[in-house]
Amino acid sequence: MNSAIKRRESHANRSGLTRRDVLTLSATGVLATATTLAPLRVLAAAPQGQLTWGIHVSLAPTWFDPAETPGLITPFMVLYALHDAMVKPMPGQPFAPSLAESVSASEDGLGYEFVLRKEATFHNGDPVTAEDVKFSFERYRGASHDVMKARVAAIETPDQLHVNFKLKTPWPDFLTFYGSATGAGWIVPKKYVEKVGDDGFKKAPIGAGPYRFVSFTPGVELVFEAFEGYWRKTPSVKRLVFKVIPEEATRLAALKHGEVDIAYSIRGELAEELQRTPGLTLKPVDSPATFWISFVDQWDPKSLWHDARVRKAAGLAIDRKSINQALTLGFSKLTGNPVVCNVFDFFWQPPEPAYDPAQARKLLAEAGHPNGFDGGEYYCDSSYSNLGEAVLNNLGEVGIQMKLRPVERAAFLKEWGEKKFKNIVMGGSGAFGNAATRLAAFIVKGGPYVYGSYPDIDDLFEKQAVELDHGKRDAILQKIQQLVQERTVAAPIWQLAFINGVGPRVGESGFGLIPTFAYTGPYEDITLKGS
Amino acid sequence: MKRYVSRRVGYCLLSLFLLSVTIFFFVRVTGDPATLLVEPGASEADIAAMHHQFGLDKPLWVQYGLFIASLAHGDLGKSFYYRTPVMELYLSRLPNSLYLAAVAMTFSLIIGIPSGVLASVRVGRFWDRAGKMFTLLGLSLPPFWVGLVLILVFSVYLGWLPSSGAGTPLHLIMPAFALGWYFAAAHMRLTRSSMLEVLGSEYVKLARLKGLPQVLVIAKHAFKNALIPVLTLAGINLVIMVNVATVVEVVFAWPGIGRLLYEGITFRDFPVVQGVVLMGGAMIVIVNLVVDILYAVIDPRIRLES
Repeated sequence: MNSAIKRRESHANRSGLTRRDVLTLSATGVLATATTLAPLRVLAAAPQGQLTWGIHVSLAPTWFDPAETPGLITPFMVLYALHDAMVKPMPGQPFAPSLAESVSASEDGLGYEFVLRKEATFHNGDPVTAEDVKFSFERYRGASHDVMKARVAAIETPDQLHVNFKLKTPWPDFLTFYGSATGAGWIVPKKYVEKVGDDGFKKAPIGAGPYRFVSFTPGVELVFEAFEGYWRKTPSVKRLVFKVIPEEATRLAALKHGEVDIAYSIRGELAEELQRTPGLTLKPVDSPATFWISFVDQWDPKSLWHDARVRKAAGLAIDRKSINQALTLGFSKLTGNPVVCNVFDFFWQPPEPAYDPAQARKLLAEAGHPNGFDGGEYYCDSSYSNLGEAVLNNLGEVGIQMKLRPVERAAFLKEWGEKKFKNIVMGGSGAFGNAATRLAAFIVKGGPYVYGSYPDIDDLFEKQAVELDHGKRDAILQKIQQLVQERTVAAPIWQLAFINGVGPRVGESGFGLIPTFAYTGPYEDITLKGS
Repeated sequence: MKRYVSRRVGYCLLSLFLLSVTIFFFVRVTGDPATLLVEPGASEADIAAMHHQFGLDKPLWVQYGLFIASLAHGDLGKSFYYRTPVMELYLSRLPNSLYLAAVAMTFSLIIGIPSGVLASVRVGRFWDRAGKMFTLLGLSLPPFWVGLVLILVFSVYLGWLPSSGAGTPLHLIMPAFALGWYFAAAHMRLTRSSMLEVLGSEYVKLARLKGLPQVLVIAKHAFKNALIPVLTLAGINLVIMVNVATVVEVVFAWPGIGRLLYEGITFRDFPVVQGVVLMGGAMIVIVNLVVDILYAVIDPRIRLES
């Protein structure tokens, strides 16, 4: 991240804003509007043509309603087309003012004021008002809704264009949750939703995004059409069609045959085939999904994994570069940080993870295992059993023999959360957030997937939760991540690259424009070649 | 006859009841669907709310009772994932599966029957051996592999056919072949053995002794009688085809009920899995009932013996 973005980001997160900071934020919104809106509106041609996506997952109608957004990245594939948010991740900006042209925080961290854009409208022509913002928050019942509702004391709407969120206690992560990790900040039309009801809304959703809903055949196809009244710019492509093609090889075949223009999720040997095919472009995208191995027995003094040397040896045994090359053609990032994504706020950059099997064997010998040992079971989500197998083989090469236990996804998440696993769990998370949210879920006491913790780390975490100064909070969270690395609480594997294919008709695909967003976006920036 | 029919109907209802109990409980053994519908690490309250929304917090016997009660009204429940009535989803996809099955069955009969006849009159020779190879491959090769190879050859390399989806007759060709090959093999084997049995019968020998041309003996005398078991099987296979095309539909992204079942299993969408399995079971049970009744009508010995 460059320093300009950090400054803007730190301004967005820090509660102790000066008057100059508030003006800066407002100016950013005005500038963004002035530079993107006015000249483009003058020159914008009518949208033309159609682009077709080959989607790897079945589209759910709950994704049309921001109120039910789970803490996964996939629904945002639809949200970015159909809806708009007060602030949201955009190219170059993690919290770009969108429906809100400016946002400012009070000095005491107890209030956030949003000023809406006058020109923002829904697809039915109704303006986006403060009432819609309040309504959208109050009806939100998706990921972390309990956290948000518990922290927000009141929402004031002094007029149609101003919304004030009053917090019960200072909450430095308010914008992280409101603007990226949840759907609470994505705005729906109150009058329309009250008229048609929740189920009616899912059948015929209306939003304020760059594309309007046309039709949906459950599990088969979703069609959007350009909304020419979108405040930011008129989309270039008239029609977007999302086709569900669950089988990966078929998706690639459809891309090669020209039936789809963009295909999501092409992996391994198929990605190599995609790379070799003339006319097609392989587009890897950094996802926020980090993967690591978790030593869930390390707090049990009787366990072999209790010894930090054994854990370090396991970390040194993993040949991350080779695995990366084999499975993701080298596009995944080897940041060395097990749980925190490298573009998240408060990310700490560890030293490059080493692959040193000789040192690993030495450490094992020092720990009393010169001939290796039976490490027990290696649990993983079965979708990633190829990764698990590769890591397992590396561990075996230094003498740590384990049995792979791939578990179907839902069962894996349930049993992981219920602390039923032993020995090693290959964890992974693609949830939005920041370093604090990741550490809360996987490292710190009380987290849903935490089998044990270290008191000093827990104390530090509590301290950062109430620290309003961004710089000080950053220092504490970085210290926590350093301790995690020093003690090998978890050993990093990689930050997964999401590999996609783009066909010859596509001009700007939208891949990689929004940092850590695995899908194409913003949709209004996507173009056909020659347009 | 009435007693025969009412007994058969009773067996059908019993079969459907047992099927409903089995699928209802077995689908719940697969785990908790709420874990797939909320974000990882969701609170207990969120999961409990999801359970309450879908009625999963009630005792199992209550859930089953409600399920049967709504079934009596033709209501298969509401999909957890799509939030749409299962019957609506099912009926929107069923025509696609019927269409695919009809074309696949046509293909299997056009290939299977003539090749079976040819194999039966050329026993031990080239056509017989070719037919056996065709049968062996059809029964052994997994349909998903056949589908992928067809996509590779006809869609990617030759560019003649669309790789996936539905909409035009061209979209049907590859999935119908992938689905129909297995059944063509089965029909070919049955036709061959049925023809061999008929060709060895006394009346066919008499026809030959009378000096009738071989073509006439086969086409007029043997073929029609040999066809009876084949068509019976084809009728039952048609219904089976509609319900077992899951893998083919997924490979070709064909929007049928097989793919709906796959999605239901993937997302632990209990109502969808229950609905699709029950409807499929009902289809097969009803077809068998009709066949049993027709047999009894045609051959009185059957109903008298029973």
